[in-house]
Amino acid sequence: MGYHLISIITMRRLAGFTTVAALLPISVLAQATVEGRVGLAKSHPAPVVAQRYEIVTRGGVLSTQPPLAVVYLDGSFRKPSSQPTKQIAQRDLAFVPPLLPVQVGTRVEFPNLDDTYHSIFSYSPAKRFDLGRYRPEERPIPSEVFNIPGLVTLRCDIHEHMRGLILVLDTRYFVVTEADGRFRLSGLPFGRYTLKAWVDSKTTREQPVELKSGVTSHVDFP
Amino acid sequence: MISLSEANQRSITRFRRKLSTAMVLVVSAITILALYLAQRNATATAAHDLQQNFQTELSGLHKVQELRHAALAERCRVLAEKPRIHAALEDNALDLLYPSAKDELRDLMGGGEPSPEQAAPSLHAKFYRFLNSTGEVLSPTNPADVGELHPATEAQLAFKKLPETQQIGYVWERTNTGDEIIDEVVGAPIFSTETGDVISALVVGFEPFEVTGRGTGAGMKSGIWANGRLHLPSLSKTGQTALGSDVTKRVTNSNSVENNFLVTVNAAPQLLFYRRLNPGSLFPPAYEVCIYPLADSMTQLHRLRWQIGGAGMLLLLGGFVASHFVALRFAIPVQKLALDSEKNRAKRRRADIALVSTRKKLQRSTRYSADASHQLKSPVTVLRAGLEGLLARDDFKPEIYEELSALLHQTHRLTGVIEDLLLLARMDAGHLQLESQPVNLSRLIEEWLDDLGGALPDLPELKIEKQFPPDLCVAGEKQYTSLIVQNLLENARKYNRPEGLIRVKAHRNGKEIVLTIGNTGPTIARHAQVHVFERFHRGGTPTDISGHGLGLNLARDLARLHGGDLRLISSENDWTEFELRFVSSLQMANGPSQNT
Repeated sequence: MGYHLISIITMRRLAGFTTVAALLPISVLAQATVEGRVGLAKSHPAPVVAQRYEIVTRGGVLSTQPPLAVVYLDGSFRKPSSQPTKQIAQRDLAFVPPLLPVQVGTRVEFPNLDDTYHSIFSYSPAKRFDLGRYRPEERPIPSEVFNIPGLVTLRCDIHEHMRGLILVLDTRYFVVTEADGRFRLSGLPFGRYTLKAWVDSKTTREQPVELKSGVTSHVDFP
Repeated sequence: MISLSEANQRSITRFRRKLSTAMVLVVSAITILALYLAQRNATATAAHDLQQNFQTELSGLHKVQELRHAALAERCRVLAEKPRIHAALEDNALDLLYPSAKDELRDLMGGGEPSPEQAAPSLHAKFYRFLNSTGEVLSPTNPADVGELHPATEAQLAFKKLPETQQIGYVWERTNTGDEIIDEVVGAPIFSTETGDVISALVVGFEPFEVTGRGTGAGMKSGIWANGRLHLPSLSKTGQTALGSDVTKRVTNSNSVENNFLVTVNAAPQLLFYRRLNPGSLFPPAYEVCIYPLADSMTQLHRLRWQIGGAGMLLLLGGFVASHFVALRFAIPVQKLALDSEKNRAKRRRADIALVSTRKKLQRSTRYSADASHQLKSPVTVLRAGLEGLLARDDFKPEIYEELSALLHQTHRLTGVIEDLLLLARMDAGHLQLESQPVNLSRLIEEWLDDLGGALPDLPELKIEKQFPPDLCVAGEKQYTSLIVQNLLENARKYNRPEGLIRVKAHRNGKEIVLTIGNTGPTIARHAQVHVFERFHRGGTPTDISGHGLGLNLARDLARLHGGDLRLISSENDWTEFELRFVSSLQMANGPSQNT
């Protein structure tokens, strides 16, 4: 069980790195970097069912388990001319990664890596879609473009326990924190901004930040 | 004599009348009691039977309802697990709720009108609605899919707070034709599979089950009371309204889950039962209402009444005849009794009058004797004092002294007579009070015999024979006991002959002491023996013997006063014997202890 969890976290980190790496060449003008730590809730020994799934609901609040946050620089920034396609796979009857931040207008693919049907849909106000039932070999890979900022809850009509979250953001500057809450955002434009940290579906913390060229600012979210 | 028989006749008639009246009363009372008991019994049985029937019907209904509710609960549980329903409820996509649920609940609404027999288990719903997390009704996007409802009906489906258990309710629905009917609604909570909280509720409307009334046959009508109104389609609108207000009154006043009472519908008496259909529900209370015509039981009761009344009448008639004969039979002895009592009364009246006059006479004579004795005493005393004074003088001739002493002796006699008379008078008047105490009779006799010997020097040759044990005790007053003994002994001496004998015997005989005193001498003539105890009777004795004819009389009266008696045993062949009986003092002393 513990091994399983670690493997998921590792994958999540990899996903975060690819995101940041993908942003780097575009933001050539951005010089500033911000790093810090988001105070995350202690990872309680979760109920057995919850350990299997990454997204949990507590009193109607969706969050990842173990907790992760998405830190992003608030504001409307220029959209890149072409946006890379992102992926949320279904593997072992779970969404991988369970939490994906994307910029408005991003296409997300939902490849089925299991040996069974999945039927991914969402009733979230930010994006309603229904991919219907599809098999692993379904081509093209079913995908959706997310044009409205907000939180999208992914469900599978066949596997009622499956939950995934896509956080659609206006900004292009965002990152998923490490498991210990540390984050680092680089290549940011300088100026005064608000740095936000999405913790769960009901909680988004924010801190003002002044970014200077070549300076690494430090912002903590207690 | 004529008036007497007339009076008797009247009293006999009165007696007969009384007897008949009593019998009529008794028979009437029995009849009324029987009528009352039978009626009560019949009513109770009818009510009980109908109630039993009602209960059976309702419990059958209850079972079918339970099936429906269980099926619905399962449906809701499955529904809550559906991701689309969850998504719709949790992701603020309530507009997608009904479309998502449409497929899931298709069979609930689908199909044509099933027959009533199939309706119960088939879970055929008329409509359904979801409630949001605050208990309000979520309006459907396409009402045609979920059963169209009037907004007023829809409003009745809401809860203030989502229920945690299944709730049963009854709502009024206005149909397209303008009629108002009642729908049974079941509200089932939908629990979140993640949090376990109630996130919504599904309210499904059904056609209510009817109490069929198969058990009672025709006449039984059933309906539902909800929200202050009664839905009983087989009654007219006004009938429903009237009956509904009756039920409303009962329900709001008694607050009981079930009850029954008598109502009048269309001028016919009916027994109305009601029972809460949804006890403990968050929906407003609703009651199953059944009315049973009481015509059957009324006719039965009517028949019973006639039967008992007829039996009572027959009984009464029989009673009359019987009472007539009985009165006649009774009247004969009563008539005789009346006649006899009339005679007796006359006799008693006469006896009473005689008694009164005798008592008056007796009183008069007693008073007279007493007065006379008193009046005599003082002149005798004066006379004696005068004579004694004369005797004290010494200037008279010796023959005058003799004369004087004889006169003095006569005054002594006179005093004795007077004292005896006084005593008798007191006894007659009942004034003599005895203070009973043990008196030693033996010693008393001895003393008197000694006195007798001393006082009779002129009869030295008289022989005295004593046969009694010492210390014989009698109960009495010593003064009077002594007087009796003295009288008898003096008589024995006075009426003796020279060289005669006095024999005194005494012995205890059970509770009595028997004393016999016998003496020789002239006997009492046979014809005089019966008068010997009469006053002033001297039994033809020689006049030279002193005496005044009061002694025996006094002795016997005193003996009787002491509880004893005195009688003459015999007087012949030179021997006269008296027997005196006393109550033994031993007996008297032991008396009380024996009683205890």
